[in-house]
Amino acid sequence: MRNKGRSARMTALVCMAFLFTTGLALASGRGVTDDSVKLGFVLVKTGPVAALGIPQGNAMIDYMNYINEKGGINGRKIKVLWEDDGFQAPKSVAAVKKLIARDKVLTVMTTGGTNQTIANMKNIKRYKMVNIPNAMALEFFDPLHPYIFALGALYEWQYQVIVDYINDDLKMKDKRIGVVYTKKEYGKKGLDAVKKRAAKYNIPVVAELVLPTGAVDASSQVLALQHAGANIVITCDVLPPIISFLKTAEKYNYWPQVFGFNWATDDLLVKACGPAAKNYIGSGFVGSWTDDTPGIKLVREIAKKYNRKPKLTSLYIGGIGVSMLFAEGIKRAGKDLTPDTLKNALETFRDFDTGGIFPLVTYTPESHAPAKKVKLFKADVEKKCLVPLTGWRSPKDL
Amino acid sequence: MYFLELVISGIAVGSLYALIAMGFVLIYKATGVLNFAQGEAIMVAAFICYYLVTRFGVPFWLAVPLTLIASALLGAVTERLVIRPLLGEPVFSVVMVTIGLSIFLRSMAGIIFGHHNYVFPSPFPVKPLQMAGIVLSHNHLWSMIISFSLMLIFFFFFKFARLGLGMRATANDQDTATLMGINIKSVYALTWGISFVVAGLAGVGLANVMVLNVGLAFVAISAFPAVILGGLESIPGAIIGGLTIGILENLAGGYLDQIVGGGVKDVTPFAVLFLVLMIKPYGLFGTKEVERV
Amino acid sequence: MPIRSKTFCESYHDDIKLLDTIWSKCWMGLFILGLLILPYVTDTYIVYMVNLSSIAIVAAVGLNILTGFTGQISLGHSAFLAIGAYTAALLGEGLGMPFWITLPAGGVVSATVGILLGIPCLRLKGLYLAMATMSFGIMVEYVLITWKGLTGGERGMYMPEVNMLGHALDTDENMYYFLLCITALMIIAAKNIIRTRVGRAFIAVRDRDIAAEVMGVNLTGYKVMAFALSSFYAGVAGGMYAYVMGHIHPEHFTLLSSVEYLAMIIIGGLGSILGSIFGAVFIVAVPEGIKLLAQGVESLIPAMQGRYDEEWNIAVFGLLIMLFLIFEPGGLNAIWQRIKVGFKNWPFTY
Repeated sequence: MRNKGRSARMTALVCMAFLFTTGLALASGRGVTDDSVKLGFVLVKTGPVAALGIPQGNAMIDYMNYINEKGGINGRKIKVLWEDDGFQAPKSVAAVKKLIARDKVLTVMTTGGTNQTIANMKNIKRYKMVNIPNAMALEFFDPLHPYIFALGALYEWQYQVIVDYINDDLKMKDKRIGVVYTKKEYGKKGLDAVKKRAAKYNIPVVAELVLPTGAVDASSQVLALQHAGANIVITCDVLPPIISFLKTAEKYNYWPQVFGFNWATDDLLVKACGPAAKNYIGSGFVGSWTDDTPGIKLVREIAKKYNRKPKLTSLYIGGIGVSMLFAEGIKRAGKDLTPDTLKNALETFRDFDTGGIFPLVTYTPESHAPAKKVKLFKADVEKKCLVPLTGWRSPKDL
Repeated sequence: MYFLELVISGIAVGSLYALIAMGFVLIYKATGVLNFAQGEAIMVAAFICYYLVTRFGVPFWLAVPLTLIASALLGAVTERLVIRPLLGEPVFSVVMVTIGLSIFLRSMAGIIFGHHNYVFPSPFPVKPLQMAGIVLSHNHLWSMIISFSLMLIFFFFFKFARLGLGMRATANDQDTATLMGINIKSVYALTWGISFVVAGLAGVGLANVMVLNVGLAFVAISAFPAVILGGLESIPGAIIGGLTIGILENLAGGYLDQIVGGGVKDVTPFAVLFLVLMIKPYGLFGTKEVERV
Repeated sequence: MPIRSKTFCESYHDDIKLLDTIWSKCWMGLFILGLLILPYVTDTYIVYMVNLSSIAIVAAVGLNILTGFTGQISLGHSAFLAIGAYTAALLGEGLGMPFWITLPAGGVVSATVGILLGIPCLRLKGLYLAMATMSFGIMVEYVLITWKGLTGGERGMYMPEVNMLGHALDTDENMYYFLLCITALMIIAAKNIIRTRVGRAFIAVRDRDIAAEVMGVNLTGYKVMAFALSSFYAGVAGGMYAYVMGHIHPEHFTLLSSVEYLAMIIIGGLGSILGSIFGAVFIVAVPEGIKLLAQGVESLIPAMQGRYDEEWNIAVFGLLIMLFLIFEPGGLNAIWQRIKVGFKNWPFTY
């Protein structure tokens, strides 16, 4: 009797469960009413990379608030929600789910970095999330992914420009490159790009070393680089670990020429490291805080208005730029605002001018790739900031 | 030469590991608890010192004792609020409570201090020492000196000082210790205080050698293997464990990283720990517990 | 004719029944009905949260078997979830196998690794065992990141949707019923294991292993069995996680998430299946509660605007572990039992 009753209950449970296999579809017209638009984004707020996410996120919100105070876009006020992912792919997936299912946002403006964007590929397609990720890897733009738009010069291009610079402009004998990279996807992409490019110029890559994103010490990396005799170090890692690296190198009296990509090219690097940063050259594509272009003037005005003193100025500027692109897209999409009309509107950008924040932006239905424009900056220890070293460059055709 | 350099830099980091490990051992010796929040004590102390020096302009030689006093207070308060209510509870509960504490302290530190990388204003000259081609920074040298002298002090403290003996007696058997006239409560509070002071010293040392951010707390997790390797209740064990792990880590980073593809440095201590436990379940110098029913 | 009192049993079978009274059967029936109609009365997000809870429940029940019932502390539980999740993803995405192969296969592979870990860990106790399992977890995480050929490394792995009789379960509501069935099965199985000889042996090992051995409990066998069972549960939970999220990544299976599962069983109640369920639901729900609270505070105090982040959740999570251990070591389960007894005896005090 006892067992029979239980199995009967079980069967009932299972049967009933399968009866309900019809789902409720997500409501369409997500996040848009006559007088409001709800947007969301996923960006790191905590953990070792938080320093990068916070200024950008603040800027993205500040710009939309600024637009709202000017009356909104097409009569709609914009509300922006920020979810934290701690720079971790699984948390980013969960955060996207929250924004879409709980908050029902129109789109998720960015899903974080390269790892996070890869992890969210299915979600981006499924929920038609028009986004400008903080991930400039070639794979997102070639082949075309309909809902992903580019922020700035691809990592591959940045490293090509760096190696071009090393070959053509750097006056040094017997060049030997050491690479310091993170195991995250962007680090590996950087490493591959450097190796490929250096092989074309016959510059030896003598060491490849991993520096974790949360590293507080880089002794063994520095010693290994010294041992390998690297006189040029190319880093493929974000700003915080680069600070650890430069400070450790200083302790071991090791002074190679150091290069880095856009996520490590910020005035803060020079402020934090002081003289240890004297050999640093970084690539980037956003304007400098002290520029006199209309876009940067606006950035400074917004920062003052909302009482922000961003530590990483390049990220704050970039954040304003991202929101500016979205605001323009929403404006061009007009009254009928859905993920698809927003995407189509962004695809009408032809040399859109952000006023010196980014290079001119062009998106077409065939390509969402960025402009092939990279600038190199160099540390100025006296002035505690980065100063432009070159004009706009693009990778040479080899 | 390269090998020697790796070993020396390993000893420099290892001596700090040994210092951290000593913090663990102190608490374990007196209370039979492994304190997972040791890393957070280190990080908080480093931040206190940093703020004293940069924000309040306190000179470094004064900031260090102030930091140590603050650490001692934090230790005593922790003991009173978190550990004492659990006197007599199973080890599992006490360990979990320290894990909870570590999570709490770390995220509070994240909220209060933020997540930036701070560079400690080092009081020592930047230009490193060079001896026979081997480069060693002043920071490393000083942290080594401090670690080793502290280790000596504690070694003798537990061997001869009345209080040290009292701590050992408490760890051995709480009830008997009470009967012998040892005030267990004050022994506990004192132990946590002293252990946090050691953590504070380690914190100031680490912040000088490394970059200061909230992630500094994770260095203590790397010191776990050092403690276990040496056995939980042995101070010489902690020293040997700390140095071994420091050297192994650096050698793995220097040689294996290039071959295996990176990141081996961080996992090596744990692989070593795992292997040691498989072979010697109580660590290299730990005493086997004899159980009676 | 014996006088029937409140706890009256005529046989041992009655004593260990899962649902002992007519009332408990009724309540259980109502509860199940409530679960079945849930997606029709709430919105997608709640359903999604319940889905996450059911994964956590399966994992927590597994850990409770090992830690709560058998007394073996594990700080490497999420490593077993990882093994299950990656097995399921390799079979599901790589070989296109259906869920009824991938999920059990994840469990079995995980259990096998559990046995392989359990055997050398037999000699370890208490803190040393915690350290060994922690190292194991960290090593598994390293392998997942490094062995790119198998696991995709930092790119992680995608997971297809569950295919049920030709229909893809692509919404949270569809997944809900699927997960509900698995979770119910796993809970009933655990309940049954615990009330048999095996379960009693586990408890004997926990309470005093040497005494248990003297009384004829095969220590080696039962400790390894506890490891195997616990990692089987974790493996299945890992597979469920892969299906729900559609993407798995080594960063999900860290030391912190192992601690999270420990927190679930501590807050829920060690050595109690019901407690594992309470704890799992609680830990999944707490961040949402904090978020609501934070929004309230932000609207009241403008200075707090934008101060809320993930860090607050983690802080509260740490605080909860401490508070429960200090003030309510029996966890939510103990609170629940007190309430239940209070209702039963009302208006008397006992």
